[in-house]
Amino acid sequence: MNCERTQEKFADYLTGDLDEAGRTDVQRHILACAACREDIESLTVVWAKLGVLPEEQPGGGLRHRFYAMLEEYKDGLGAQEKTARPAGGLAGWQDWFTFRRPAFAASFSAFLLFVGLGAGWLLNGGGAGGGRLTTLSREVQDMRQQVGLSLLSQPSATDRIQGIGYSAAVENPNDKTLAALFNALDNDPNPNVRLAAVDALYLFRTKPGVKESLVRSLAIQNYPLVQVALIDFLVEVREARAAEALKLLIEKNELTPEVKKRAEQGLKQIV
Amino acid sequence: MNAENPEREKTERMSPTDNELMESVRDGRVEKLAVLFERYQTMLYNFFLRLTGNRAASEDLVQDVFMRVLKYRTGYMGDSRFNVWFFQIARNAHIDYLRKRKGTLPLDEQYVETPSHEPLPEAAYEADREAELVRRALDRLPVQKRELLVLFRFQNLKLREIAELLGCQVGTVKAQVHRALKDLSRIYLDLQKGNVS
Repeated sequence: MNCERTQEKFADYLTGDLDEAGRTDVQRHILACAACREDIESLTVVWAKLGVLPEEQPGGGLRHRFYAMLEEYKDGLGAQEKTARPAGGLAGWQDWFTFRRPAFAASFSAFLLFVGLGAGWLLNGGGAGGGRLTTLSREVQDMRQQVGLSLLSQPSATDRIQGIGYSAAVENPNDKTLAALFNALDNDPNPNVRLAAVDALYLFRTKPGVKESLVRSLAIQNYPLVQVALIDFLVEVREARAAEALKLLIEKNELTPEVKKRAEQGLKQIV
Repeated sequence: MNAENPEREKTERMSPTDNELMESVRDGRVEKLAVLFERYQTMLYNFFLRLTGNRAASEDLVQDVFMRVLKYRTGYMGDSRFNVWFFQIARNAHIDYLRKRKGTLPLDEQYVETPSHEPLPEAAYEADREAELVRRALDRLPVQKRELLVLFRFQNLKLREIAELLGCQVGTVKAQVHRALKDLSRIYLDLQKGNVS
C-alpha cells in the first residue's frame, strides 16, 4: 500500500473504525515509511488533545426561551386552524412579534410606561445622586415582580411562561414571587411552565428554602422532562438532602428508563 | 448514528427515535420537539460554541435552529437521516451568523470566559491551560476545516454522514479531515512554542 492509500485510512484509524485487515495494512506501511509514521503520530496526538476540550452546559435561560417559543408556535398553529388560514410558518411568527394577547400587552405596556416615566423623572432631576437611581432601580424590580405575578395568574401557558421570565429577571425576589414560582412548579398543569419554573428557581438557588422545595417537588412530578430538569438542578447544586428523594424516585414503577438512569447517575454524584 | 451502541439501541427500543419524533413534529404534533430539544440542546450548544467561541451567540444559534426546524418541519422526509437533516439546518444557521458577524472581532478574541474567583489547583490549572491552547489552535483554523473537525470529533458523525452533509464523496472528506488535523497539529505546536501570540 502506498502513502496516499494509507493516509486515506488515517481518519478511520483514529476513530477505531478500521477493520483488522485495514489496521494491519496501515501498521505495516508505517513501519516501513518514516514520513507516514511521523504523520500518524502527530495526528494521534492532536486527536487526543481535542479530547481535553470540556463539554459545557448551556444556561437555563435557553430552555426557558425554547419552551416559550414552542408555546407561541403552538398558539399560532391553533389560531391558524381556528381561522382556517392557509398553512405556513409566517402567521405564527407574526404573533410572536405582535402583542395580540391582552393580558401580556397590558402588563408589558404598564411596565414600559413605568420605565419611561422613571427615566424622565431621573433626567428632569439632573441625574443628581445615586439615591434616586437606587430607588428607581428598586421600583423597577418591584414592578417587574408585579408584572410577573400578574402573568403567572393568566389562563394561557404562554403568558405564565412570560411571567416566569419576568420573575427570573429580578435580582432579589420577594416571598410572593418565590411562592408563585414554587406554585407554578408544583401545580401548573402545563409541563413547559413547570420546566421554566425550574430554570427560574435555579437562578435563586441560594435563597432560603429553594433547594428544599425542589427536593420536595421531585416526589410529586410525573413528567419525565421536568423530573430530569430537577435531577440536574439538584446534582449541580450538590444538594445532599436530595439523595433520599432520588432513591424514592428510582423505586417508582412508572419511571421512564431515561429518567431512572439519570436519577441513578445523579445519586452517585451526590452521595 | 447509534446502531453500534447496544445500550443506546436498547433505550431507543423503548423510546421513540429521533426520526419518529421528527415525523410527529412534521405531522403537527409539534410538542414532540421538546424531546428533541432535550436530546440535542447540549450537543448543539457545544457545536456552536466550538465554532463561534461565544456562549451567548451559541445559545442564540441553538434557539435559531429549533425555530428553523419548526419553520421547515413540513419538508422533512421520513426516510431522511435526522441528524444529517438537523446538522444541515445548524450549518445554515451558522453561515447566516458568520455573514452578520463579518468584519468583527477574530474568534479567539470573542471567547467570553466565565469569571472564576477561586485560584485553580496546579493540575486543574495545567488542564485548563491545555484546553485553552487547543481551543485557540482550533479557532485559528479556517472555518470550513474547523467545522469539519468539530463535526467529526465532537458530534460523532460518521464520515459517510459528513459526506452526505457536505455533498461530496467519502474519500474527499477523509482527505479533508487528514489535512485539517495536520494544520491543527502545526498550529498547536506553534502556539505551544510561543511562535504565535
